[in-house]
Amino acid sequence: MKKNVLRVEGISVSYGPIQALDDVSIEVDEGEIVSLVGANGAGKTSLLRAIMGLQKVHTGRIVFMGNDITNTSTDKVAGSGIGLIPEGHLVFSTMTVLENLQVGGYHYPQEVSSSLESVFESFPVLYKRRNQIAGTLSGGEQQMLSIGRTLMSKPKLLMADEPSLGLAPKVISEIFNILRDLNEKGYPILLAEQNAKKALEFGDHAYVMETGRVLFQGPAKELMGNPKVRHAYLGGNV
Amino acid sequence: MSPVIYYFLSFTAINILMCWAFYLPYRVGQLHHLVVSCMMASAYFSGYAARQWSWPFALTLLVGTAIGMLICLLPSFAIGDAPCFTVVIVGLTVLFIMKTAIENTRALGGTLGFFGIPQVNNLLLLAYLCLAVAGLLIYRIDNSRLGRAASMVFVDRDAASALGVDVKRLGMLFQIIAGGLAGLAGSLYAFLIGSLFPEFFNLGVIGTLMCMLFAGGHSTMWGVVISVPVFEGLHLILPTAVASWLQVIYAVTLIVVILVLPGGLITKKMLVKVGERFRARPQTVSIKGGIKE
Amino acid sequence: MEIFVAQLLNGLSLGSIYVLLVLGFNLMLVVAKIIQFAYPHLVVLSMYVCWGMLKYTNNMFLVVLASIVSCVIVNVAIEPIFRALSKKHGLDINVSFVVSISIALLITDVMSHALNYGFPIAFPTDWVGKSVLNFGLITFSVGQAYALIGGIAAVALFFYLLYRTRQGRVFRALSENSVLASIIGIPVVKTRILSYAIAGLLGGVTAVLFARLLGSASPSLGDFVAMKVVAVSILAGLGNLKGGLVCGLLLGIAESLAMGYLPGSWSNAIAFMMILIIMLIKPEGLFGIQI
Ligand SMILES: Nc1ncnc2c1ncn2[C@@H]1O[C@H](COP(=O)(O)OP(=O)(O)OP(=O)(O)O)[C@@H](O)[C@H]1O
Ligand SMILES: [Mg+2]
Repeated sequence: MKKNVLRVEGISVSYGPIQALDDVSIEVDEGEIVSLVGANGAGKTSLLRAIMGLQKVHTGRIVFMGNDITNTSTDKVAGSGIGLIPEGHLVFSTMTVLENLQVGGYHYPQEVSSSLESVFESFPVLYKRRNQIAGTLSGGEQQMLSIGRTLMSKPKLLMADEPSLGLAPKVISEIFNILRDLNEKGYPILLAEQNAKKALEFGDHAYVMETGRVLFQGPAKELMGNPKVRHAYLGGNV
Repeated sequence: MSPVIYYFLSFTAINILMCWAFYLPYRVGQLHHLVVSCMMASAYFSGYAARQWSWPFALTLLVGTAIGMLICLLPSFAIGDAPCFTVVIVGLTVLFIMKTAIENTRALGGTLGFFGIPQVNNLLLLAYLCLAVAGLLIYRIDNSRLGRAASMVFVDRDAASALGVDVKRLGMLFQIIAGGLAGLAGSLYAFLIGSLFPEFFNLGVIGTLMCMLFAGGHSTMWGVVISVPVFEGLHLILPTAVASWLQVIYAVTLIVVILVLPGGLITKKMLVKVGERFRARPQTVSIKGGIKE
Repeated sequence: MEIFVAQLLNGLSLGSIYVLLVLGFNLMLVVAKIIQFAYPHLVVLSMYVCWGMLKYTNNMFLVVLASIVSCVIVNVAIEPIFRALSKKHGLDINVSFVVSISIALLITDVMSHALNYGFPIAFPTDWVGKSVLNFGLITFSVGQAYALIGGIAAVALFFYLLYRTRQGRVFRALSENSVLASIIGIPVVKTRILSYAIAGLLGGVTAVLFARLLGSASPSLGDFVAMKVVAVSILAGLGNLKGGLVCGLLLGIAESLAMGYLPGSWSNAIAFMMILIIMLIKPEGLFGIQI
């Protein structure tokens, strides 16, 4: 039996009058890749933001590694081991690549150099560009930097919000390969992705969301075979 | 009339005019401290013209207003759509330059002050007449296309200009009208008080006016009509030992108001509600769980 | 020519003070996203603390310590006001400007009521010091030397902190994107408070240097300096640290040169005139806004 890493229990979130999440529950187990699938505005980002403490949760609970982290401040959530790779390959664009990585290791100042080594090993391109200003990197490189910076904080759970957004197909598959490798190294991953096909192929388990609710859930392969899901999200004839 | 009431009434009129001069450019998000310079220039000009050249009151008032507008006109070409902090610093620097200039000008009394401005009959009545006219002007502006455009600019400058609002022209217009109001206030001030001192026109005045504007409410022109007399009255009834700390009281009030009551005493929403009650529309629907802020 | 050189030296010393003030001001601007107009007033308040300490002790170390401690305490004590403000209004620097002007008025009024009966204070003559250099008209006082050397040292340390240390990286990350900073685990509130503390520390040092340079202080000094500091920061481009360095030094030099050739009561007006002209020509600043 796999150990549970993250458990979201019936949370709801709203932006003023707009309800973005309504009674959403998900689970992530050890070593697992969990995909969140849904169209624009389904609430994927809102869910990740709520977990991260960036958005107030009105009802429900979020439990991470056995601790209740509902409505905890974001830096504490990050410190407890949740690493979010935010939407839109965000980097500190006026700082160098190296500085971006160093600042990512905020909670482990003693281990920055050893973490740096392992990040540079996984991303040789970042080592090559370590003294370049991050704002001048290409989109794909920025996404790698964003992932590398998250790894610097030694997360126990990786959450990626549309890591493929705005990138060329070749780069996208590269990014997914990187995430796959990271998962094989033991990182559980919670992935939010609009591209249902990609997300279902990639994940072990998946949740299909629409207008703030979870419509379907189950092993990704099963959902792929589900005719309703195929019809609504995979264009019917994939 | 007792001098106490006379001073209360005259300072109330002048401060309401000045608060309106602050209010108008703040409609587009600018704290236009330059108006205090307009007031100072106009007051000194009016005093000088009335005493040395024996100009009639009405002419002095007109020219004083024009001077105020002129002082705002020139910089407005540069700062009509400038960010708020730039506008603030322009206002403050001009004030200090003007103060230095007057302090170093013998003919205007220098640091000693300028005395002997002739009296005018029925001045208080005339002052309130001017106030009413100015109020009407602002009311018309507020309820015109300009006022609505300004509200848009206040919320989102970029969106407003994308919708075709000429932010710079609007800002310039408001700054110039504000200058005129301040010029009028300065002229009246010179006649009402009869003597002028350069150190009166300092950062403290700006603090006082901002306090009155924000406490009354910066989203409508009516807030200051209530807050100014209250503060002026407070000034009168406080014991002198406390009243000498008036600056501190204003400063603390301003901070507390901004923290606790960001919209001020009277907000636009409140006026809309009151208006609805008066019109007593039967079809007013209450929206339960509707739009919250 | 001699006047020119003398005033140039003067200007460099005065400019160093401006630069220090602008740095502290800009640090809070970029990290905490506030316009702290009252920062120079706090520095003047610390000059009063120095003056008070000098009555009891001549120990330089104690005086500097008192200045720094007072400036840090007051600056950090103001922080909750701005934090409450940002809860209510979001990070609106214009609102913070209004509030900090009120704080400035408050400090000025307290100084002019309660400290030395509102009279200007004068530091002992040996505090300003005799001139260390003397060539005809050119004199260079100990106070000027302190301001210049202390200024350079403090600026160097400040930039070292910001660009070469872990804490500096955290400051820069937070100043660029506070949400992203919190996502990677940087405690936003704590870091902001730290920026107030460092600005206070810088302010305390500046107060000592300024006192040695001027030899006096008065309640209205805060207003003059605050306007120059905010103006320099705007002229350089709000939040632009390196631009602030250049503009602060230039203002000091320009002001001193004007002082050398014009009657004394006009020197502030000349400085403001220059500020005004540049600001009207370039309302967004010379080197670009960086907040
Ligand atoms: N800051 C906000 N203010 C108001 N409403 C918001 C805000 N952010 C998101 N929403 C609303 O919440 C709902 C869910 O948005 P969310 O960003 O979580 O969707 P998403 O699944 O991530 O979509 P996408 O695939 O486009 O990123 C949407 O209806 C959106 O309009
Ligand atoms: Mg999203």
